[in-house]
This record gives sequence, C-alpha cells and structure tokens, in this order.
Amino acid sequence: MSGGDTGLTADRKAALESWLTGQAGAKSVTVTEEGRLSGGAISLNLAVTLDIDGGRLAGRHACVLRTGSASGVSASLGKVQEAAVLGAVFAAGATVPEPLFVGSDPAMLGAPFYIMRRAAGIAAGFRIVKSDAPQRELARELGRQLGLIHRVRPGTPGLEFLALPEPTAALQATADFRRWAGRYAVTDPVLTYGLRWLERNALPPGDLVLCHRDYRTGNYMVEDGRLSAIIDWEFAGWSDPMEDLGWFCAACWRFGRNDREAGGIADRADFYAGYEETAGRPVDPHAVAYWEAAACMRWAVIAIQQANRHISGTEPSLELALTGRMLPEIEMDLLLHLDAVAARGGFV
Amino acid sequence: MINDDPKAGDLVAIALRSFRESILPVIPADQRFTALMIANALGMAERELAAGGKAEAELAAAIGGLINAKGDLRALLPRLCTDIDVGRFDSAERQAALRAVLMDITRARLAVSNPKRLAAEAPKSETPKSETPGSGR
Repeated sequence: MSGGDTGLTADRKAALESWLTGQAGAKSVTVTEEGRLSGGAISLNLAVTLDIDGGRLAGRHACVLRTGSASGVSASLGKVQEAAVLGAVFAAGATVPEPLFVGSDPAMLGAPFYIMRRAAGIAAGFRIVKSDAPQRELARELGRQLGLIHRVRPGTPGLEFLALPEPTAALQATADFRRWAGRYAVTDPVLTYGLRWLERNALPPGDLVLCHRDYRTGNYMVEDGRLSAIIDWEFAGWSDPMEDLGWFCAACWRFGRNDREAGGIADRADFYAGYEETAGRPVDPHAVAYWEAAACMRWAVIAIQQANRHISGTEPSLELALTGRMLPEIEMDLLLHLDAVAARGGFV
Repeated sequence: MINDDPKAGDLVAIALRSFRESILPVIPADQRFTALMIANALGMAERELAAGGKAEAELAAAIGGLINAKGDLRALLPRLCTDIDVGRFDSAERQAALRAVLMDITRARLAVSNPKRLAAEAPKSETPKSETPGSGR
C-alpha cells in the first residue's frame, strides 16, 4: 500500500524520522506509511503511524501527513499557514485534528508539510447525506462548531499572515472572484451577472471572524453518526461569519438532497440553532442569502482555476478537466438562487 | 478527410460503448472512480460532437433580442457581458428577462455536460407559471 509515486522515498523517510526525533525530543521515531488518503484535489494526504520512543509525545500515534500538490489555486494557504490556522481553532476548542509537527523546510519532503492526528470516520459527501431521517443533531453540532471557530478573531497571535478584507468582506470577495475568473468574467454572461449582482448588493461592513471558507458536507468527518473532525482548512481567512453559513447551505453542497438545505443533512433551523448557541450572534438570513450567491460564484471561479491547472499543462488530470465542465451546473444553482431571492425581495 | 469514416463523434460513441460494456464491469474497485470519470468524459465529448453547435443559432437570436444586436454567439456573448457590466440590466424587469435567457444558455450547456441534472431541472421549467421569454422563439 505504501510507496508508489505518492509515498515517501527511503531517503525522505529517513530524513523525516531524524527531524521528528529532534522535534519530539525523543530517542527515536519510526514512521510507518499506510497509503494515500483521499483529500481533495489540492492537497496530498498520507496516512502514517508514528512510533515515538521517549519525549513529550512518547507512544504510537495514528496521523496524517499533509502536503501541497504541484499547483494550487489562488485562495489556498500554504501548509505552514494552514497548520497555524488549525492550531488556533484547536485551541478554541473546535473538533479538529490536533496539529503535532510543522515542517516548513521544503527541502525535506519536496514541499512544506504538517503532521496532525488522524480522525476516524468518513467524509465523502454522497455517503454522509445517505440517511432516511434527517441528521438533526449532526447539523446542530456543526452549527455549534462553526460558532466556536468564529470566536477566533483578528489579532489572534500566530495568524498575522491572514490579510483583512478590504474595503469589506463582500467587496473583497467579489473583487477576488472577478480577478480569479479572468476572461470568463467578460465572456460568460452568467458570471458577469453574478458579479454585478454581488457588487450591487454588497453587504455593509460587519464583524470579521476566522472563516473556514470551505465549511460543507464533504469537509467534515463522521463516525457512527457523530462529528469526529472538521478538515480541509486551506481556504481559511478573515471574513463575514455569515459567509460560512451561506457556503454550508448553498445548493451546490447538498449532494442531491435539496430537501435538506443545511448541507443535505437537515433543515437550516437545526444548523442555525446550533450556531446561535455558541457564536454569540444571531444568524442573519439576508446575509446568508447574499453569501449563498457568493458561494456559487466562488465555487465557479475555483472550478475555472482547477480546470486551468489541467488546461495550462501544469498538472494534466482528468479530474481537474472534468471540474471545468461543472460550470454549467454551478451556474444553474446560481441562477435558481437569484430567481428565488428576486421573488422574496430584499435585494436589488 | 472526405473519406475518413467513421467520424470522430461515431468513434467516441463506439469507444464509450465498448468501454461501458466490456471494461467497466471488470474494473477493480480501486480504479472504478477513474473509470467512471473516463466514461463521463467520453460521454460529454460524444454529446458535444453530436450537438455540433445546433443550439447556438437559437441562443444567439435570444441574446440578440435582449441587446438589440445581430451576430453569432461568439460575437454576442462579450457584448451581452458588457451591457450587464455597464448596468443595462440593473432594473428588476431587465434582470428577470436576462435571467430567463441565461437559464436557456445554461440549459443548453447542461445538455452536453450533465443531462441528468438538466432532466432534474426540467419539471420546474414546464410549470405553467414559469415564463421563458428566451425560448419563446
């Protein structure tokens, strides 16, 4: 199972073990590889077990070694930064894998990496949404967790590298989308319209908190029906807290369960109630509706960037190529959402 | 050239059929995701070759009606984008008319990229209430 083109070479494994021994203040560390884990198209995740002899972490630890791929998308953090974010939300009490070691020297494994504890359970969205009854407690717990994450505010030590949005979260997001869309912003009328709508309806400035920015079904792990970890932190940044709620509830992340608007698992009410328990702020449905439109736009421009990794020849990949052809369904979600909010009123 | 038969669309179609009938059933589980992606990509290519831009004239006419212009789709799309950008579709009525045409464009693209999703949307567009100015041609 280990080895192959994605595993560690003998030289790198030896270098890693020696480095870990120093980091852990141990007598020795043995790394056993257990194969590649699925983990998105941007990062590479290796299951590893660390046998640590002596030091502060003596014992056996099931872990994940996470490193970047050859090319990322504009919004993604480097692995060292991602580990810092993970450390901050772990400290805030959120259910996330504890980061144990951060390797910033790209020479060691070919790219910066970090090692975190391995959570048990499944993450695949299409499996999570498969249940006869709505998973109300899971939705509520995901709301509570998001409230905890949003307690991390600008000024948190160690997160200085995260830029504050300018001039507002909404206008920064829209400007990012426009830039990332490139020529599509002026040749694909659905995207042009979406951008115009987001600019004209931009929300006024409000609270800024640490947003996960990919908080959705598919990016948390569930074991026996209960949340075991929130994963995939590479898009985190300061933003309007309602951005994460909009992303979670957006039509594109319901995995076919459109009747369960909170991530395909339950009603919004359960998710919102959990959020209000811990966040210390009420959910603003108008702002969530705005960010749901932004969610479609964000997913559309990420899909464009994913496709470009293939089209440019940087990283030939069937999966990335097909992601580019998901644009029409993402745009359909956007149009249906804008139809629905136009019918409800409240936006121009 | 003139006698190079079967054509690309036919080749892709028969390649996909052979792949589905003979290869997919014997693919090991750990390769199944890749195999399904291959089938998906071939299916999309097959539909795109079969469509051959048939829908384009209709869509161009719909866009032309919206922005008072004539031309093919490739010429009209950036002009529509410019009109949206400068605010010619800002009013609620103009936005509704625009969304209807954008919906038609998106449906035509979905017919190639994801006909299953298109089929799932179809009942909505056939309800008597929904107005579809873009397709009233």
